Amino acid sequence: MTARETPMNDQRLNVVDLDARLSAQSPQQILAHALAHHDNIAISFSGAEDVVLVDMAFRIRQDIQVFSLDTGRLHPETYQFIERVRDHYGIPIETLFPDAAQVQTLVREKGLFSFYRDDHKECCGIRKIGPLRTKLLTLDAWITGQRRDQSPGTRAAIPVIQEDRAFARKGAGLTKYNPLANWTSAQVWHYIRANQVPYNPLHDRGFISIGCEPCTRPVGPGQHEREGRWWWEEATMKECGLHAVNVSDSK
Amino acid sequence: MKITMVKKILADGSPCQKCGEVEHKMRQAGQLDRIDEILIADERDLASPGMLLAGELGVDRAPFFVVEEPGKPPLVYTVYLRFVKEILDQKTDDRDELREILDGNPDLDFI
Repeated sequence: MTARETPMNDQRLNVVDLDARLSAQSPQQILAHALAHHDNIAISFSGAEDVVLVDMAFRIRQDIQVFSLDTGRLHPETYQFIERVRDHYGIPIETLFPDAAQVQTLVREKGLFSFYRDDHKECCGIRKIGPLRTKLLTLDAWITGQRRDQSPGTRAAIPVIQEDRAFARKGAGLTKYNPLANWTSAQVWHYIRANQVPYNPLHDRGFISIGCEPCTRPVGPGQHEREGRWWWEEATMKECGLHAVNVSDSK
Repeated sequence: MKITMVKKILADGSPCQKCGEVEHKMRQAGQLDRIDEILIADERDLASPGMLLAGELGVDRAPFFVVEEPGKPPLVYTVYLRFVKEILDQKTDDRDELREILDGNPDLDFI
């Protein structure tokens, strides 16, 4: 019996042990593990340098499922790039759209640029998290391009594999893989150049992290890529994680 | 059905702000009556009941809710409004739920 005949979603994963083991492996090995253990799995492709995941996965399995969140506010270059990736690999890229009624309500109540006055979360919630949730409710596992070096605040501790409780179907499991978690931006770009992977032309114009057009800007030398996103907001961090400390240290 | 809520105390001894906000909302909405047990996850004490339960279930955030029914695996909710919608069967604002997901999972903002 092969691993794919015993789907993981029916089992209780010991993700901590698995994370420790997979963390020592390359992104390609992590992807191979993920694709071998789940049939109903998809890559979340943002239209930026996470294209390396599409390239790596395509070399393993050509029937990979890829989806992209079209917020309606992406750069024209990003739309063109997503189309280029679709043509380059000859794969369908499922485009997910936000709920029209929710977008209309938001725009009617707060205008088209409410995120500059409030914060980006309401808009991101409607335009990205809503459609993402709808898609993830249909999957057993998903793959992201998240890396620890993308944000020292919010991504410093992301594991290679985790149980995704926020988006799992009721009573079912959803496994999230972050094969690039331990890679640096430099390693990603080395891979792109070495393998002649197509990339978003905005990167050549100083954009490192690419999201929606109003919320993304190029950054200068020495600036962290995080500074190119939501730069008008203060770095406020919600602290909801559980952090065990040595009791003796806290006395 | 048994419902357990786990809230936490931070490593510096202060209560978790989000846990307090959720508990306040639940009290106002009369939802606390539906909670059978409240456990504390004290970050200074690995053996505190909430920390033990979090470890057992592989949960890395608080507050969270555990719903147990005989003969079924426990359901774990880390999104309060989803718990309210699916378990307490009460209407919620979807925009609020989406925002709560993003608040609790700030790494998602780059997706």
